[in-house]
Amino acid sequence: MTIAAIDEAVCNGCGICVKHCPIDVIRLDRERKKAVIAYREDCMLCGQCLDCPEDAVRLEPGWGRAYLLGWG
Amino acid sequence: MKETTVQTDVLVIGGGMAGCFAAVKAREAGRDVVLVDKGYVSKSGETPYAGDTAVFNPAWGHDLDAWLTQVRTVGEYLNDARWTEIVFRDSYERFLDLRAFGVEFLEEDGEPVRLDHPLTQIELPDRDKFPPLVSQVVHWLPGWPAKLRKAVVKSGAKIIDRFVVTELLMEDGRVVGAAGFDVEGNATRVLRAGAVVMSAGGGGFKAVGYPTHELTADGHVMAYRAGCEVTGKEFLSPHHTNPEEPGWPPIYPVFASGHSAAFPGAWHDPEMVNAEGDPVPVRGMAWHGWIDAEWEAHEGRAPVLAAGPPDGKVRPLSGPGGHGSMLGHAAGGIVPVDDTCATHVPGLYAAGDSCGTCFVGAAYSGFGFATMHAAVTGARAGLGAAEYARSADRAAPDARGEAEALERALAPLRRRGGFTPRWTTQVLQNALAPYFVLYIKKEERLRAALTTVEFLRDHVVPKLYARDDHELRLAHETANMVANAEMKLRASLLRTESRGTHYREDFPRRDDPDWLAWVRLKDEGGVMTPFTEPIPEESRPDPALPYAQRYPMRLPGEEAR
Ligand SMILES: Cc1cc2nc3c(=O)[nH]c(=O)nc-3n(C[C@H](O)[C@H](O)[C@H](O)COP(=O)(O)OP(=O)(O)OC[C@H]3O[C@@H](n4cnc5c(N)ncnc54)[C@H](O)[C@@H]3O)c2cc1C
Ligand code: SF4
Ligand code: SF4
Repeated sequence: MTIAAIDEAVCNGCGICVKHCPIDVIRLDRERKKAVIAYREDCMLCGQCLDCPEDAVRLEPGWGRAYLLGWG
Repeated sequence: MKETTVQTDVLVIGGGMAGCFAAVKAREAGRDVVLVDKGYVSKSGETPYAGDTAVFNPAWGHDLDAWLTQVRTVGEYLNDARWTEIVFRDSYERFLDLRAFGVEFLEEDGEPVRLDHPLTQIELPDRDKFPPLVSQVVHWLPGWPAKLRKAVVKSGAKIIDRFVVTELLMEDGRVVGAAGFDVEGNATRVLRAGAVVMSAGGGGFKAVGYPTHELTADGHVMAYRAGCEVTGKEFLSPHHTNPEEPGWPPIYPVFASGHSAAFPGAWHDPEMVNAEGDPVPVRGMAWHGWIDAEWEAHEGRAPVLAAGPPDGKVRPLSGPGGHGSMLGHAAGGIVPVDDTCATHVPGLYAAGDSCGTCFVGAAYSGFGFATMHAAVTGARAGLGAAEYARSADRAAPDARGEAEALERALAPLRRRGGFTPRWTTQVLQNALAPYFVLYIKKEERLRAALTTVEFLRDHVVPKLYARDDHELRLAHETANMVANAEMKLRASLLRTESRGTHYREDFPRRDDPDWLAWVRLKDEGGVMTPFTEPIPEESRPDPALPYAQRYPMRLPGEEAR
């Protein structure tokens, strides 16, 4: 299920995952100073958000939307 | 919405390997530089995933002729030999630059460890019919992309991250800047420049299982719309994915930890078996394995099983994975007109995966060549653009043209309804993803896909709407993917032969009399027009060689002559 969760209990609001996501899946809630998964369906499972210094991001296999393979 | 104007000598669009080199070199030449990227420079594009780079250095025992022969034979003679040589000859200096930027390489006794082409370590049939694979790579250590970013900052170039460029600004047939908006909040900006380097990478279709969804051919399409020629669109970069869990595990941590992950079927795997348990024969060019699995599927013998990352476990594989998304591997892109990477439109330079030098020809011929090419063309484009910005007189800004460009940038946000970018992307993927469209091609199937793409182009793209800032970006990416799809289909239709990674079921042979030529596309009065450009004399194969020696690999449906 792509980016599955950001653990708010440990997220320090640094914004690194927001900057590092190449496809703008994560946004920062500036009031609460927490990263939020805003557009999960666009997550491409690259893993760049795992740069999180607090280890708050969890990824899981699977895609957030329908897709078609070359054959099946 | 806030609107700003930025003024600079050289504007660099896209901050991967190519854009970072362009920015640093233009600064070294004394110009002001602004580098924009829709992601975050050092984290976006293909660059952060690359694990190695090729370096040609005679002092390491490298032989230029042998390296060139490797490219000619694997690339089936469609490489521009002049560019291949330029890329090789410049590569050592770019390697020294990278070291000066602080990039660390795997070393032994102060010398970088040189690794042979991995395919030399695999037992493969027909190996003796080919010249040896001689190119070598060096490996950088994890964390290297951050050093590229640091070098740009240190050079004094200004970086604007998370900014989407939507179009090039034109005046009197020249490129004088670009327009676009912020990813978050969509504030618009006009970027006026003395010269522009397009280094926005390649273009795929947000294929499942491959982390290049931000690469939607924006650079190719913007340059094409500005009047540039685009080439190499019929070729592919085949990378499969695991159909049970596409894209798993994520590539970045695997690469960043210093492992060179392999994609199942990225090259021919001698252990690969079909559903009947039989080994899959080598069919595509030079063991690239690129239609081996596709042909098994075509014949009704899928699933095809191969060992893959992260654990070497045997799993089924399927496409499309990265098909067409690693454009450096096919070297398709904006046609350069000279060795400074100038294009057909004055003021515009192209670099990296955006630049169609054709230095590898019809198939990717050596590991590490893509980043080597990006570094070399990036540096050249940066210097070329710097010189143009220094010497050409500046046009007075065209306020009306700029305002119209910003209007077009925001248009999907202004529409209250229409078609969503996600749905449109899905329709496009459904038209292109099945193996029988872009892998195993045939005229009627290409035409059928083109009919869908033309409908999207004419009826859907003009009505794309965005409900928020994020979708505005998706709307522009979708429009560019539709244009890129049209390019790929038209180029594939025109090339009525098979060569390298272009396979036509209805024309399964290489056709040297007619097709020692590149396919190019340009806009002729609003119509996308493909045409051919013969390759130069020095790139041609020896006509005295019998066909089966010129092309040792047999394609399905082709009997050796
Ligand atoms: C998983 C993977 C592994 C690879 N491994 C290797 C390897 O080991 N060796 C090798 O040589 N090559 C490898 N390659 C290929 C190589 O990484 C690329 O060919 C090379 O990095 C391309 O560099 P570039 O600067 O041209 O483009 P990119 O690095 O793709 O950068 C393009 C940049 O442009 C930006 N951009 C795009 N559109 C816009 C827009 N509209 N507005 C603003 N910015 C925009 C993007 O955000 C991106 O940052 C690999 C590629 C992948 C995907
Ligand atoms: S990188 Fe980690 S700590 Fe920083 S904002 Fe993201 S989740 Fe929170
Ligand atoms: S895995 Fe990649 S695309 Fe998905 S949220 Fe993380 S950084 Fe973004």
